[in-house]
Amino acid sequence: MNQPNQDLIASDINAYLSQHENKSLLRFITCGSVDDGKSTLIGRLLYESKVLFEDQLDAVASDSKKWGTQGKEMDFALLVDGLAAEREQGITIDVAYRFFATDNRKFIVADTPGHEQYTRNMVTGASTCDAAVILCDARQGVLTQTKRHSYLLSLLGIRNVVLAVNKMDLMKYDESVYTEIVESYQEFAKEIGLDNVTPIPMSALCGDNILARSPEMPWYHGPTLLSYLETAEVNDEFRRNAPFRLPVQWVNRPNLDFRGFAGSIASGTVKPGDTVRVQPSGKTSTVARIVTHDGDLSEAIAGQSVTLTLEDEIDVSRGDIISTTEEPASTADQFESTIVWMHDEPMHAGRPYWLKIGTKTVSVTITDIKHEVNVNTLEQTAAKQLELNAIGVCNINTDQPIAFDTFDENQETGSFILIDRVGNHTVGAGMLHFALRRSENIHMQATDVNKARRAELKGQKPAVVWFTGLSGAGKSTVANIVEKKLAAAGHHTYLLDGDNVRHGLNKDLGFTDSDRVENIRRIGEVAGLMVDAGMIVLTAFISPFRSERALARSIVGEGEFIEVFVETPLAIAEERDPKGLYKKARRGELKNFTGIDSPYEPPENAEILVDTGTLSAEQAAERVIAEMRKRGLLEG
Amino acid sequence: MNNPTTPIKALNERRLDAVRRRLDGASLAEVSHAVGLSVPTVVAAVKAYESDGWDGVAVKPRGRPAASSAVSKQQLAELRSELIQHVAVTNAVIESEHLWTTARVHEWLIEKGVKLSAATAGRHARAWGLAPASPAPNEKPAAGTERQRFITIAKREKRRLVWISSHTLTSGEASNILLCAHTARGLCLWTLLSEIDETRFLAFLTAVEAYVKTPLAPMVQLSRAIEKSWVTQWENRTNHTVLLLPAVVNTTTSNSTLTSTASSTMTANTTSTQASGSPLPALSTLTHLQRLEAESIHIMREVVAEAENPVMLYSIGKDSAVMLHLAVKAFYPAPPPFPLLHVDTTWKFQEMYKFRDQIAKELGFELLVHQNEEGIKQGVSPFTHGSELHTDILKTQGLKQALDKYEFDVAFGGARRDEEKSRAKERVFSFRTSAHRWEPKSQRPELWNLYNAKKRKGESIRVFPLSNWTELDIWQYIHQQSIPIVPLYFSDERPIVERDGQMIMVDDDRMPLLEGETPEMKRVRFRTLGCYPLTGAVESNATTLTDIIQEMLLATTSERQGRLIDHDTSASMEKKKQEGYF
Repeated sequence: MNQPNQDLIASDINAYLSQHENKSLLRFITCGSVDDGKSTLIGRLLYESKVLFEDQLDAVASDSKKWGTQGKEMDFALLVDGLAAEREQGITIDVAYRFFATDNRKFIVADTPGHEQYTRNMVTGASTCDAAVILCDARQGVLTQTKRHSYLLSLLGIRNVVLAVNKMDLMKYDESVYTEIVESYQEFAKEIGLDNVTPIPMSALCGDNILARSPEMPWYHGPTLLSYLETAEVNDEFRRNAPFRLPVQWVNRPNLDFRGFAGSIASGTVKPGDTVRVQPSGKTSTVARIVTHDGDLSEAIAGQSVTLTLEDEIDVSRGDIISTTEEPASTADQFESTIVWMHDEPMHAGRPYWLKIGTKTVSVTITDIKHEVNVNTLEQTAAKQLELNAIGVCNINTDQPIAFDTFDENQETGSFILIDRVGNHTVGAGMLHFALRRSENIHMQATDVNKARRAELKGQKPAVVWFTGLSGAGKSTVANIVEKKLAAAGHHTYLLDGDNVRHGLNKDLGFTDSDRVENIRRIGEVAGLMVDAGMIVLTAFISPFRSERALARSIVGEGEFIEVFVETPLAIAEERDPKGLYKKARRGELKNFTGIDSPYEPPENAEILVDTGTLSAEQAAERVIAEMRKRGLLEG
Repeated sequence: MNNPTTPIKALNERRLDAVRRRLDGASLAEVSHAVGLSVPTVVAAVKAYESDGWDGVAVKPRGRPAASSAVSKQQLAELRSELIQHVAVTNAVIESEHLWTTARVHEWLIEKGVKLSAATAGRHARAWGLAPASPAPNEKPAAGTERQRFITIAKREKRRLVWISSHTLTSGEASNILLCAHTARGLCLWTLLSEIDETRFLAFLTAVEAYVKTPLAPMVQLSRAIEKSWVTQWENRTNHTVLLLPAVVNTTTSNSTLTSTASSTMTANTTSTQASGSPLPALSTLTHLQRLEAESIHIMREVVAEAENPVMLYSIGKDSAVMLHLAVKAFYPAPPPFPLLHVDTTWKFQEMYKFRDQIAKELGFELLVHQNEEGIKQGVSPFTHGSELHTDILKTQGLKQALDKYEFDVAFGGARRDEEKSRAKERVFSFRTSAHRWEPKSQRPELWNLYNAKKRKGESIRVFPLSNWTELDIWQYIHQQSIPIVPLYFSDERPIVERDGQMIMVDDDRMPLLEGETPEMKRVRFRTLGCYPLTGAVESNATTLTDIIQEMLLATTSERQGRLIDHDTSASMEKKKQEGYF
């Protein structure tokens, strides 16, 4: 707090409060690599705005002696490096949020680390920001990472960008150094469509052009960093002028007379009497009231959390978007999108994930990775999977139509996250480009002879019995006995296994993780068709990943999928080694062999578990038949 | 049915009967049937009762009234302007003769030869705008609110509570300012001024003080006419504080603006389906507090929509108070759809327990209290086991037990990112393993406002809706919204011993006094609340919220300094959190 403020606080606290209750809020991110002075800049901002207390400064002073890199000087970076592990390593490893305020604004700073995991953390931090400060070391000029940060900011649609040419003190505050950097940067910025970049020469360590104009750089006439941040337009202001959207979070139904739709207004404004369209159903109605605890509103604007009631009793649920009828949100189930991958486990085309957009969560499959973008060179390369921190343009397919806008039109209703269906991690972030129109032209053909009729003809209940386990566990052996028993009882069966599939349908696939995912997806689909034909299908594949087994399960109906985990300790399977594959793998002649250098994810809730280490193949098969009988899939 | 020939007296008896029955809770149809009046007549009678009491229920004799027995509209208008001219003070001198009451208006009317009852004179005065309604709320202030503190202190100091408000009164082309002082017992003293300034305002207060013969405890409703600096002047002159009531836009909204939090929470529980009053005006942009409020509400609604069995952890502190207030707002008009859980170490301040039970009841929350019985049986106390062990057993372990016992899958906590360095990196939705551990290195990335609430059975999520609030935001919001807080935050005389450089309040006789320690009464308050043996007080004279904010802004040490547990080991909070502490 600067001095005049202290006086006002002391003399007239009420005046101070009324002034400070009406500040606006700006969120910004600082980007830069390890040595660009990012933490120093944030420490400086906190210091200049006097939000640090004596005890915090004392702690920093004592820490500076222990870990500081600035000699006897106060090391501002230590203020912002939080976790103990990081302090010891002298690096930051996650996104941290800092707070400070001036007389006009409150600021929330997202501080992201400048090394590995960078893309993930920066995208996370920037997603909620109104503005960004890209730090660039005056000694180094525009580096690859400066470009990478800029590209990510343009990808996320950040509107206000500062190019902070830092450490000018080390370049004797030379104007030509600054001009050269700015010129080369502007050229690149234009290339990636990043307009509205404001360059500022500064020294975070010495405080030049941070709060006060630097006497060392009289040649610079633009804003100081703080004066820029105090006046930059916040997203709310921008969003207010977009068409009205309210993703419904929660239906508020305290009694029979009240039915309100609670949510945060993503964009635009709304008044009682406005006609609205509910997407994806397309039904229309009129806004009756805007209910808040403080009283009904005559108008609500982007950013407010409100509850709407409608004139008509139409069906609205969580995940729907209430939008203006003039420019309603679109609906579709196939899209092109950019996806940023954020997890150690790579993204595979064909694998299903959860997709959360607005307040809606649906199942989604990545149908095609069109290309990967190299964040350093911006080159497009072909890819079958996206690794951690990779960015790709992908086609995706949701299992039901969703309401959306393109990310360019509306960041709130055009952005999504991807969630792993097994571990529930947030594994990706995406931005919708456009809907693929072909989705409108593919319809399911309703046939007169249906699954039930076909099953009736065969006098059996169709099902998939899915055997999974390590190579050599005995899947094929057990499945073969089960099929013989079923056939003997007059059932129409089919055993899908590696040989009859890999030699035909899937002969284009190898053994990488991506190919394994696609292999199992196709088998799941084939099994689904056969069940539809009324058959009992047995499959015997290693099928190492939970996600794909979950996908196969979701293709057939409830109760028609029986997962049989053929469990055998790796040592026993390796000892059996019927095809000699383990030996080859151990010798390094066979890559990506499950159990050796490729993972196997055991089922968590398999219907049947048979341990072929203790049971004979015949006993195991009996166990399976008994279980099928118990589940009502077999008579008697 | 209402027969036009029914004699007036019989009709009026029926009307009175109808009102009585209606007040007893009979339906309109039942009343109508029982007394033989039409439904609209019953409604009219009840309305008349509501606005004018029993006197208003009876209808006047039909036909043109005798000219002598009543005053015509024309006469009334003339009387009004004459009275206004008569009472308006044009110079800066205000003495007791310039103070008017409804009784004086009655006397003046009698002098003018208008014969009427005191009640009728009062009605005319009201209609003329000379007896505005008191800005005092009908409800008692909730415990811990600034108003409640103010009233308690005023009573202790034997000062008279008065509500001061100003109104504009127009008569013909002249526009005057009506300055009013309402006492708690319903007396309204007023002065009509052609203009207002600091001298006149202070003179009015002095005259009121002389009239009631007791030092005043004024509660001033700010308006365009009354400036804050005048109030400060009065405070300086009398050495007593004045409570400022928020300014109001116009008289129709004045009552709702002044309603305390307690009353607004009452409306939250009555799930009214009618729009109340006129709609609030549109906003042009959101202030930082409005943005923070909207974000917190968004977060709470996401949890309720996605969690199976959510709970709100309630620590009784100021952050919890804000969280409760936001929960009421988020689900209005429905009551918040989750219980409160207090993990009780049994070592909290007595005032905290009292406040906890009262506020949960007032806001309509189900309150669950969990104690680590095993720990308590073992006699774990901060005095014998040290703060670290005490916190771990009674708080951290107690919390885990409670979450397991009730199978809560999502728990709201009031932690803020500005509190402490390791908190600055925590997510809003903070995932915990089935052993309640926090894994700082495998946090889920959090993008846009898309929160991932998916989890497996046994796993849980801690959600921090106040993540982006700072301590100052919390205090400003409490001030702006009049949120009740535990009185311990305000300065008072309390028994204190000094130990290890901290001032500890002797809250009960479980505290063993060391040799040479005698509790001493000191004016202290608490910046943060926890177990009393672990919570250091600060010497302070801050008795109002604004005092507290002022003190905080001028302070030189950060908030958690008063909390002993953070000093235990370096990086201590991060360690505690990994183990499951909130």
